[in-house]
Amino acid sequence: MAAYQYEGDVATKLSIGGYIEGKAIYAFDHNSPYENPSVEIGLDVKASVSSWLSAKVLLKAGQDGKVHAPGSDNVFDQLTVVYQNNRSYIDFNEAYFDIYTGKVDFRLGIQKFAWGRLDEMTPTDNLNTPDLTEGGTNDQVEQKIGVPAVKMNYYSDLFNTELAFIPRYVPYRLPKEGERWFPGVLILPSAINTNSAFGNIPLTTTYKDINMPDFNLSNSETGIRISKYISGWDVSLSYFRGFDTMPLMAAPTDVTVDLKDPIALKYAINANVDLEPRIHMMNVFGFDFTTTMGSFTVRGEYAYYNNKYYMRKFDSVLDDLLTSQERDTILAQFLKTYIDSLGTATTQTFHFDPDVDIQEDSMKYGLGLDYIHGDSSVSVQCIQEFIPHYDSSRPVYFIKDGFHTMVTFMFKQFLLQNTLEINLGGVYDVEFQDIMLKPSIKYNFTNNLQGIIGVLIIASSHDDSMLGQYSNNDEVFVKLKYSF
Amino acid sequence: MKCSFIWKVIVITAVCCILTLPFPAFAGMSAYDIVKKCEDLLDQAKDSKMDMTMTLESKKGEKRERTLSAFTKREGENKSKSIIFFNSPADVKGTSFLVWTDENKQDKQWLYLPALQRVRQISSSGKGESFMGTELTFFDMGSQDVNDYTYTLLKEENVNNEMCYVIKAVPKKVEFYNAITIWIRKTNYIPIKADFYDTKGQYLKQGLFMNVKNIKGINTPTHIEIYNEQNGRRTIIDLNNILYDSGLKDNIFTERFMTRGM
Repeated sequence: MAAYQYEGDVATKLSIGGYIEGKAIYAFDHNSPYENPSVEIGLDVKASVSSWLSAKVLLKAGQDGKVHAPGSDNVFDQLTVVYQNNRSYIDFNEAYFDIYTGKVDFRLGIQKFAWGRLDEMTPTDNLNTPDLTEGGTNDQVEQKIGVPAVKMNYYSDLFNTELAFIPRYVPYRLPKEGERWFPGVLILPSAINTNSAFGNIPLTTTYKDINMPDFNLSNSETGIRISKYISGWDVSLSYFRGFDTMPLMAAPTDVTVDLKDPIALKYAINANVDLEPRIHMMNVFGFDFTTTMGSFTVRGEYAYYNNKYYMRKFDSVLDDLLTSQERDTILAQFLKTYIDSLGTATTQTFHFDPDVDIQEDSMKYGLGLDYIHGDSSVSVQCIQEFIPHYDSSRPVYFIKDGFHTMVTFMFKQFLLQNTLEINLGGVYDVEFQDIMLKPSIKYNFTNNLQGIIGVLIIASSHDDSMLGQYSNNDEVFVKLKYSF
Repeated sequence: MKCSFIWKVIVITAVCCILTLPFPAFAGMSAYDIVKKCEDLLDQAKDSKMDMTMTLESKKGEKRERTLSAFTKREGENKSKSIIFFNSPADVKGTSFLVWTDENKQDKQWLYLPALQRVRQISSSGKGESFMGTELTFFDMGSQDVNDYTYTLLKEENVNNEMCYVIKAVPKKVEFYNAITIWIRKTNYIPIKADFYDTKGQYLKQGLFMNVKNIKGINTPTHIEIYNEQNGRRTIIDLNNILYDSGLKDNIFTERFMTRGM
């Protein structure tokens, strides 16, 4: 039961519940950035003031042990910032009003959507951006960032319709550079080997936060999903127009040439890359279904992405940036300006804005199979992303020859009158042959006190694959949660 | 007619409805007639709703409690719909389970897990497995045909000062139980006790159906205990806020209400 519960007349209810959770990890790799213990308090307040109006607030506050250098004194998580680095934080995870009418329900406020049928990497579920401050290794619902939105559900005998309107894009969240779950693919080399007389060019990287799109109607996001139950099949069609939820960076680069010795024409050259989140509006056409076949549940999902962008691998981008032809152009331009300035312009900076993000229409689809036997369950999913017109001369992250296939599995076993729960979750990246395993044991000491111990293991031989970029993050984690 | 007569007494999802008036023990009633009458009486109300507290007691006496609310509605002769909302403990709070039963088809089941925020159609096997850690199995909860058993009236016996028919039910095809012995009150045909024997014929567990309350003219056992002799565990079920024939609307038994809650 909730910690506090009030029931007035039939329609008036107030319940307050929540939890206090502590978490600590032990990193196997001592080179992995440290992570202090974290603590979080969640407060879940629900109030129904009439049969047609209710409200819910899920507030999370705590101390984040992953954050190394807090960025500001503002403890509230902001909906306009990518690099969210509050050590002490308060986050309105969800806060909304529900209005119920005969056939139409409205939800207004900060909320999370759940489109599609797959549990992870859901192709059609693009309405909430993810919080990747744990590298995407935590549960999908925990990853989702609540977005201010209006949702309308219309229920009819023919079909159910869900309309979503998100007036302003909310960016995904990333940890700051140097923190444990900072994406490895965003760590650029400290020097570029030009394989020429230029030698190694020192490279510095500056991480800029997002330049938010203007707050206007054309930058709002909209979606519609139509669902129907037909002869044992739950099927849905969906369309979403909005910004891509996954991180994508622009990399404007300044190359500075410093003439050290005019007689010998000796140069010192260095480069700085500004990695800056860039977003693009895309269209997603989706279809999903679920049904049962014998003792199995079968789930499927398909999405076609129109105007989707992918992030090119930086080494390929830098190679393009510093081709011998480009270098000759830089030097020719440098000398021209140097001569025009009568030898005063000994240091010159050249600006480039390479095509890091490239547009490729693509599709993503997956199939899931669940089997439940009493207190045991197994769930297996296979999800593939496919770029039909993949240009292998311009490789992008996480895709190999136009494909990226992930197999996920989850085994659950309840024991001891459901007080003990054994979980074995895992992900296998088919193209890169990476594996992530996350076995854990959960035990309910009392009705309110729960302990979890688990291990996270990522085995990869790549540092630029989806899992491999976190391959130094193997850990043992322990959580203790008291619910009230 | 398919109907889980035992479960309908034991459980939440069923319409526990025995008419108030005491029934005379008809002379010449066979064991089958008594069980059939018992079963027929269990299907009186068109709908029901109730809150339930389930206490799971381990062999060492450690107790875990879970609460839920259950709604059931019959749709004609052969169909029914049930929805269960889990209220506690915290890690299952908000979970809901919807079942559409059609005697001529396989049950349709949906599960809403707040952790996933998705309603999922499910198909479960393992009918002999425990239901949510209780001493009840999925078989106990499922639909069974009264004609799947043969019945023998063993004797009449006094249990807690109530005269009972003692009937042995033997399944025609042994799957989960070798036999069930049921004590049915002579006054109102409510079972008071049932002993279950496993497939090897060993005594497995006992169900007690106590604290009969008259609710809207319907006698309902509101305190049920299942004690598993083999593992020493006990499940205690207390039914509260029981309401029959309140005119539940059809739209309660939909995905809309699974996610919204009651």
